[in-house]
Amino acid sequence: MINYIKGLFKGLWSLLVGLKVTFREFFTRKITEQYPENRSTLKMNERFCGELTMPHDENGNNRCIACGLCQMACPNGSIRITSEMVTDPDTGKQKKHLVKYEYDLGSCMFCHLCVNACPHHAIEFSTGFEHAVFTRSKLIKTLNKQ
Amino acid sequence: MFDFGILTNWIHTQLTSVMSEGLAIFLECVIIGVLLLLLYVIIAIIMIYMERKVCAAFQCRLGPTRVGPWGSVQVICDVFKMLTKEIITIRHSDKFLYNLAPYIVILASVMAFACIPISRGLEILDFNVGVLFFMAASSIGIVGILLAGWSSNSKYSLIGAMRSGAQMISYELSVGLSILTIVVLTDTMQFSEIVMRQADGWFIFKGHIPAVIAFVIYLIAGNAEVNRGPFDLPEAESELTAGYHTEYSGMHFGLFYVAEFVNLFIISSIAATIFLGGWMPLHIPGLDGFNAVMDAIPGFIWFFAKAFFIVWLLMWIKWTFPRLRIDQILTLEWKYLVPIGLLNLLLMVIVVVFKLHF
Amino acid sequence: MDNTIDIKDRIAAMEPSAVWSDAGDGMFRVPVSSFRGLAEKLHNEGFDFLRSLTGIDWGEDGLGCVYHLENTATGENIVLGTADPDRENACLPSVHDLWKGANFNEREAYDFFGIKFIGHPDLRRFFLRDDWKGYPLRKDYDMSLNPLNMENEGNEDMAPSYEMTSDGSYILKRHPLFDDQEYVINIGPQHPATHGVLRFRVSLEGETIKKIDVHSGYIHRGIEKLCESCTYPQTLGFTDRLDYLGAMQNRHALCACIEKAMGLEVSERIQYIRTIMDELQRIDSHLLFIACLCQDMGALEVFFLGFRDREKVLDILEQTTGGRLIQTYNTIGGVQADIHPEFVKKTKEFIRYMRPKLKEYDDIFTGNIIARNRLIGTGVLSREDAISFGATGGTGRASGWACDVRKRHPYAMYGKVDFKEITFTEGDCFARYMVRIKEIEQSLNIIEQLIDNIPDGEYQMKVKPVIKLPAGSWYTAVEGSRGEFGVFLESRGDKSPYRLKFRSTGLPLVSCIDTIARDAKIADLIAIGGTLDYVVPDIDR
Repeated sequence: MINYIKGLFKGLWSLLVGLKVTFREFFTRKITEQYPENRSTLKMNERFCGELTMPHDENGNNRCIACGLCQMACPNGSIRITSEMVTDPDTGKQKKHLVKYEYDLGSCMFCHLCVNACPHHAIEFSTGFEHAVFTRSKLIKTLNKQ
Repeated sequence: MFDFGILTNWIHTQLTSVMSEGLAIFLECVIIGVLLLLLYVIIAIIMIYMERKVCAAFQCRLGPTRVGPWGSVQVICDVFKMLTKEIITIRHSDKFLYNLAPYIVILASVMAFACIPISRGLEILDFNVGVLFFMAASSIGIVGILLAGWSSNSKYSLIGAMRSGAQMISYELSVGLSILTIVVLTDTMQFSEIVMRQADGWFIFKGHIPAVIAFVIYLIAGNAEVNRGPFDLPEAESELTAGYHTEYSGMHFGLFYVAEFVNLFIISSIAATIFLGGWMPLHIPGLDGFNAVMDAIPGFIWFFAKAFFIVWLLMWIKWTFPRLRIDQILTLEWKYLVPIGLLNLLLMVIVVVFKLHF
Repeated sequence: MDNTIDIKDRIAAMEPSAVWSDAGDGMFRVPVSSFRGLAEKLHNEGFDFLRSLTGIDWGEDGLGCVYHLENTATGENIVLGTADPDRENACLPSVHDLWKGANFNEREAYDFFGIKFIGHPDLRRFFLRDDWKGYPLRKDYDMSLNPLNMENEGNEDMAPSYEMTSDGSYILKRHPLFDDQEYVINIGPQHPATHGVLRFRVSLEGETIKKIDVHSGYIHRGIEKLCESCTYPQTLGFTDRLDYLGAMQNRHALCACIEKAMGLEVSERIQYIRTIMDELQRIDSHLLFIACLCQDMGALEVFFLGFRDREKVLDILEQTTGGRLIQTYNTIGGVQADIHPEFVKKTKEFIRYMRPKLKEYDDIFTGNIIARNRLIGTGVLSREDAISFGATGGTGRASGWACDVRKRHPYAMYGKVDFKEITFTEGDCFARYMVRIKEIEQSLNIIEQLIDNIPDGEYQMKVKPVIKLPAGSWYTAVEGSRGEFGVFLESRGDKSPYRLKFRSTGLPLVSCIDTIARDAKIADLIAIGGTLDYVVPDIDR
């Protein structure tokens, strides 16, 4: 009988302690992030890997030499490089030249192997995260400017 | 305190002056029925919006914010969405019972809703055994839930329905006992009369210890009666996906959903009526100025404020505690609430007999 | 592996036909005929923990299995390999009665290699469909045999078993799983409480559970098969996608295994970073465990509290690794990037933030009478069963089995930091819950000891661009968020693995669910599933 009453009050007390926590929470400032309203202030961490990009300098040149190491490193075949052989006008040597650098965001698993493999740091991950598109074909992106 | 009886009587006399009494009463019934259903829907919408906002606030969230200011139009949009959805009939289900079940649930809910005295003179069903009628009407809902579970031809639904059967029938006992405690104090079963007796102090103060115990028991049992957390076993979403209404879609599901929320309001408003004085303002004996100010606030505001405060209390409880298990729910009822309720009834009788109440 | 010499002698005494092969970690190759006898003797000697059971296609040598055994009392380890050269009709004796954990593992080996385990009571396919043709992890498997099948999959209600007859051949028997009159209900594959696409067929009597039949494989991706065609760096990406709440630790295990095979020592800085990251990941996982358990039990408030705090961990991880769930951080011989300049500061802030928050969980859930009533005494897993099933991690420790790999086989910095291995003896749901709560504190302690002393050094060792491992087999284990995560790697000297097996942390946990959930209520099954804390992609691989 004593145990019954003791158990009853102990149980009730534990419930009240729980209620206290939620009551405090009721008046605490909320942590919801209101995307897309906060789009202008939302900053991703600089290392966030959103998608593969190929930076271009102000003249529109990239550093890619079409060596194909990234294509070989990719486990999913997300990268397709089309290249052509051109003759360098200065030295007269045959040189590979990048025609098209295709990247399929839809099958990329962000393993960093392509970035690691690149000898010239021609590709890097950007912080863009708004990837939603309506068709899969839009996920296949051409990274180099032509 | 404004008596709505004057208004209703005036309407009645106006109507009888132009038509026969029978026709006037028929017309009044129709008008009241329409108004009742309208109020029912409005309450449901307010309740659903409140649930979403309050639960969000408890959970470090904001709740709906997009549609309308502070998301206030969200629920109305949801209602329209629900109305336009297809009602899917399940193969091998018992079609008649399957379609009937949500209406039984909503019928019970509306009948119980009609018993609530909202303000002076604003009582729809008000007769000398009002409490009994309320208890009887609200119990019909169980039948609907059992039928829904049985006729859906789904194992999840069946388990949910069986749980709710065991749970709701048990807890009705505690609800009845705690209301009975107050009936002992008031010696009337008419809701309007119960409110009137609280003019000089709400029963939770007048009946002191036994009334407070009865109030707590009523809140727990009432919560269980309407299948709200932590007693939401019949629809425990992590166990039975949605319990007895798993197989319902469109407005049939909507009826269950609406009835559930209005039932919560009904339970709260009955608590407000019998423990917190219903539409009766807060009066402190001896402070006449204070009492006059309190009287200036219309009765229905008092009523809704009290009812929604209790709704908030129940939401606070729901969003804090984990769910009980079926055997624990029955243990709580039969080993704790019922014996305590019976003892409490006895205590109240002693209090009344020896005039120990205020 | 210090006492290998001693074990060699003992094995030689027990079974003269066992041959020690030295490549890699080394293993004893046992002929099929004498394997069962040796297994029984070893089990009687105290080798009661089957760490891993790996099916292997040894080509000419036939189809076989590798068994990693551990003596939990002495900490001795032993590796046995056995193979049946008859590829068409490979049969091995089942050891499910010695180690209960072998049950599902043998089904997996049957599923992928077609090895028939004589005496196994329920040799259905485990991950693949019952109408699957061929055995996909065999080296001679023809990919074109199984085009995408859009037909409904029927339920196999008869469990086949192969039993030996007196003349040495075997016969196929079938046993019904459920009676006709049983009330069998599907929990899953789409169910809020199975935490992924796992399916239980539960036989009920009222609300009471009579039997559970586990169906798995709904998100099996064939990662082990995929790895066989990938170069070593390419295999790393898959580990993050096994147990997604233990991405760091999984990858750590694979990197450590490859580094061991290469004979590469990584710098102390890398060890520090890996240890801290592992612990942050563990906190992340345990917070999610609490959140999901509470949600399963109806306490939605705690669900959001858990997610609120987990967000802080993820922010720290994201700042350094660039990912929240899929971090791709560890690499062979190092880590992808040095820690972020703010990492130390942020981590310390988090430790200060997290300690008082633990009290909040205690207030709202641990002490709560409803939660206690539901968790205490339900789903009791005994210590013997935990070891026999190989249920490591918090589940094993709640049953009183000190199974922490960080203590058993210290790796990275764990040998040098001071922390307590949390064990309980009850083995019920509440103990499993408490282990996690207490382990968050211990993880915070570990991080606190390391965070100020990260030494200078390289964060990535020099590694050749093309990695080839010498022939041999290796096994490396780390303490994942929910148990021992092991990597078994067999190399034939190529630039891709010959066989790569991940010891799932979740599979043993799921295999014991039938034992501990019998005679419990449906609501208990949800609590048991929540506290066992399995992650389905890790089971399905």
